Amino acid sequence: MRWAILSGIEGNLPAYEAVLEDIKRQREKVDELFVIGDSVGLQGDNEATIKRLRAPKPGELNPQVCIGWWEEQCFCLHGLSGLPDAPELVAKHGVEGAEALWKSVSRESVAWMRSCHFGFFESGCLLIHGSTMGYADELTPETPAIQLCDRLIRADANALFCGRSGRTFECWVTPEKLRSTVTTLDEVQEPKEQGKTPRRVVGVGSVGHEPGQASYALYDSVGDEVTFRTVAYGRSKGFG
Amino acid sequence: MKLAVISCIHGNYEALNAVLSDIDDCKADEIYCLGDLVGYGPHPNAVVEMIRSLDIPTSQGCWDEDIVEGLNACECSYPSQLAEQRGRLAHEWTNEVIHPEVREYLATLPMTLKKDNLCFVHGSPNSEHEYLLPSMDGFAALERVMSVDADVLFCGHTHVPYVRNLEEATLAVRVKEPGKGERATQLETPVKKIINAGSVGEPRHGRPNATYVIYDTDTMQVELREVPYDYKLTCEAIIDKGLPPIFAWRLARGMEFAERADDPDHVCQR
Repeated sequence: MRWAILSGIEGNLPAYEAVLEDIKRQREKVDELFVIGDSVGLQGDNEATIKRLRAPKPGELNPQVCIGWWEEQCFCLHGLSGLPDAPELVAKHGVEGAEALWKSVSRESVAWMRSCHFGFFESGCLLIHGSTMGYADELTPETPAIQLCDRLIRADANALFCGRSGRTFECWVTPEKLRSTVTTLDEVQEPKEQGKTPRRVVGVGSVGHEPGQASYALYDSVGDEVTFRTVAYGRSKGFG
Repeated sequence: MKLAVISCIHGNYEALNAVLSDIDDCKADEIYCLGDLVGYGPHPNAVVEMIRSLDIPTSQGCWDEDIVEGLNACECSYPSQLAEQRGRLAHEWTNEVIHPEVREYLATLPMTLKKDNLCFVHGSPNSEHEYLLPSMDGFAALERVMSVDADVLFCGHTHVPYVRNLEEATLAVRVKEPGKGERATQLETPVKKIINAGSVGEPRHGRPNATYVIYDTDTMQVELREVPYDYKLTCEAIIDKGLPPIFAWRLARGMEFAERADDPDHVCQR
């Protein structure tokens, strides 16, 4: 099985179209399309993007969509979760950003986003926007190793595909050894040696954040192999 | 320096007094408290006043938070629906009797306290509601200690004291980024400890005695202390105040009334 894993369209429909074309062009057929959050944002037409996600063209893959940071900000603005004044959003994009997001996503689209999953668990892989800690948890290659390890253990996954950072990377973490000894009021327990097989965190890039350049990941679940794709679109495409 | 660390007093004034006497006998230099001053027990105001009068640095527990913020934890805070109903009754009673200045004080408590390489929390550095059980995955436990840049993490919340040494941890990391090639690093950590202080006022280790810990910062030695006290006085007060009698029953036995959380690693997001 081959999966295309996307994140961060951020309302940039031309970028999403370019990625869909790239998926179609793949020599080996892609079987599943996952969009792991941030389908909306401030990079274009949110309503048109949601419409496109909800109604793929004949012969196209039906995207499996989960929620991300931007969706959560919509829920805040609509009083569906978190704080209604969306402090995270205002801190990052100002009141103007909050207003732009409010105006660009209809109540019906918010209701649809509310029906999306928090993440997907398939074949030992967790596909999620941030991590099991939350939608805002930003994992990068610079994240401390023990933190990456913790997120993998929490997920009980061999691989964690995430999109919050917008970066493309693979981090293999091998918890090689650890000795743990517990003493209670009644006994000193036998020390336990612990080690685990390698696991990995994969950043799948961002489709719509970087103008003219979309990135995403292809995953071969049989060969356990990740390929990153970068697609130029719009003005930056070709010889310009 | 000898530190006494106490936790989960839960309005049990008799137990607190007994533990403070024991701390005196042990000649501890400082006392730290890991919260849950109120809830379940019959003397929440007296307990808070005692802690304040002794100027004991205290981190906020989940019950303290609930009295300040209103009951807002999800069902994950309780091991069963029955336990949730009982907890709700105890919360409502405490909420009614608590003095305004006590509520204000509870609102000022920090989630985390630090002293050099030591960190003091109620549940975990992530949440007052997270249980750091001794059976938790070793690397996940190590992450909790390292996330607060500490060598020793003191916690409570489970009401059962323990010491967990995490030694010789080794993690290998290999990073691949497009256009940047591949790099590998290795992380080795010195000994880290998680010390659960148990519970002064609502012990659940199978005996009714209050529990707490003494930690020597020079030798890194930990002593789990178990202090007998007249728990019957607290049991009587629980009944007299109209709190659920089951609280007295389980206090007399030092147990959590036969219910266990389905998912003790779950972190309440509310």
